[in-house]
Amino acid sequence: MIRFWIPLISIVLFFMEPIFGLLSPLKLDGNFYYIVPRFLIMFLIFIAVYYDLKHAIYYGLFFGLLYDVFFIDIIGLYSFLYPAICLAAGYIVKSIHRNLAVTTMLTLVLTALFEFILYQFFKFISLVSIPLDVFLNTRLLPTMIANSLFLVMLGWGFKTIIDARLIEREKNPRLS
Amino acid sequence: MPQLFSNKRLILLLLGVILLVALISYSLRTRDDVSPPEQIIKDAVGVGQSIFSGPAHFVTGIFDNVDSLLNTYQENQHLKARLEEFASVQAEVKDLRSENAELKEIVGKEEDLRDFNPIQATVIARNPDQWEEKIIINKGSSTGVEKNMAVMTASGLIGKVISTTPFFSTVELISTQNPNYRVSAMVLGGKREVFGLIEGYDAERRELLLKRVDAEIDLKKGEQVVSSGLGGIFPKGILIGEITEVTIDEFGLTKLAYIKPAAEFSLLNHVIIADRVAPEVNGEDNGEIDESTETEEEGS
Repeated sequence: MIRFWIPLISIVLFFMEPIFGLLSPLKLDGNFYYIVPRFLIMFLIFIAVYYDLKHAIYYGLFFGLLYDVFFIDIIGLYSFLYPAICLAAGYIVKSIHRNLAVTTMLTLVLTALFEFILYQFFKFISLVSIPLDVFLNTRLLPTMIANSLFLVMLGWGFKTIIDARLIEREKNPRLS
Repeated sequence: MPQLFSNKRLILLLLGVILLVALISYSLRTRDDVSPPEQIIKDAVGVGQSIFSGPAHFVTGIFDNVDSLLNTYQENQHLKARLEEFASVQAEVKDLRSENAELKEIVGKEEDLRDFNPIQATVIARNPDQWEEKIIINKGSSTGVEKNMAVMTASGLIGKVISTTPFFSTVELISTQNPNYRVSAMVLGGKREVFGLIEGYDAERRELLLKRVDAEIDLKKGEQVVSSGLGGIFPKGILIGEITEVTIDEFGLTKLAYIKPAAEFSLLNHVIIADRVAPEVNGEDNGEIDESTETEEEGS
């Protein structure tokens, strides 16, 4: 049954993102902070690191397409960026140690990079006009804090599930 | 040491980038309708999303209830103070309503820009990356929602419908940075109604901009701004906000007013879509009419 867990978790995370998005923007001391939930891409990076790069890219393509069509009506943005980030994670992990702390750091760095690329893209098509420092303070920083909290809480769980799946696959190669 | 990209992979990557650019430029064009495959995906994802948003709204509802329980005493004091005032205002409203109905009957005016059929809907998701201010609601074209209809909460206007599928629709909030987003509005409170266009949003002040108001007209701080219904789609009289500052626009020809929106844009839950009773005119509620409908109107 463990083989269905990874797609199931991906689906749940995909649907959880917009619900957490409803809580944003957060008002603190009269300032507004945007928190963007990036649960799915973090899970996909974990898949790319611990499980299988190919699977991560396919999931990225699939969910990226859904995201594009359902939310932002720009087809090709997330469906390109999700697999690209997974690919980057797959290449980087070849030269580093697969320790949970290292992976968590790598995931956070890549998520920040992802957010930054999106900012540049939307600025390029002039959909947003906020300056860089405002972006860093009101969007990137709170987003990364919230997402790292999420990852610290659940990263270990992600790894456990992926490891269980790996063991199952080794025992029973037909099911891969 | 293996090469990072072999020739075959490099070609694939290049093809991918070309396809990507083509797709993005295709979808960035202003499209009138959602293509059928997109509709199917939107409806399918929407169904999944509503399964998840139900319990989420339940949980946030509990927090809201606790929050309002904590404020009960203060709120009660405040409300008591306003209760007497309310009774007299209510009597006056009743009187004015009946007088208005009588007068309308005398004039023989049946249609009113103010009348609309409310369509109740629940917000199932907000665009999580929040670059564009969009929300998804669980009513679509099968229940009569159409593009460009006004969307509001109990406290005021929040946005308009930008695309519909049979069961879901996407709403662009009024706090968007989209330069093509306009709502025709009017200012209440003076001797006569003052018309202008809500055009643009100041992200730093978090206030809307009311532009194209005649420079000779005096606007005052605190006056209320409502939708005028003259744009062709929105009903008249939906509260938009309150004027906080009046200045002259960049060309010095017309006045510009900052408006604090009456509705809250975060934690949206239940919204109302206004399906106006008076005939609608094709367009974007910005006062510009498609030529085809204009000639139709002239002919009829």
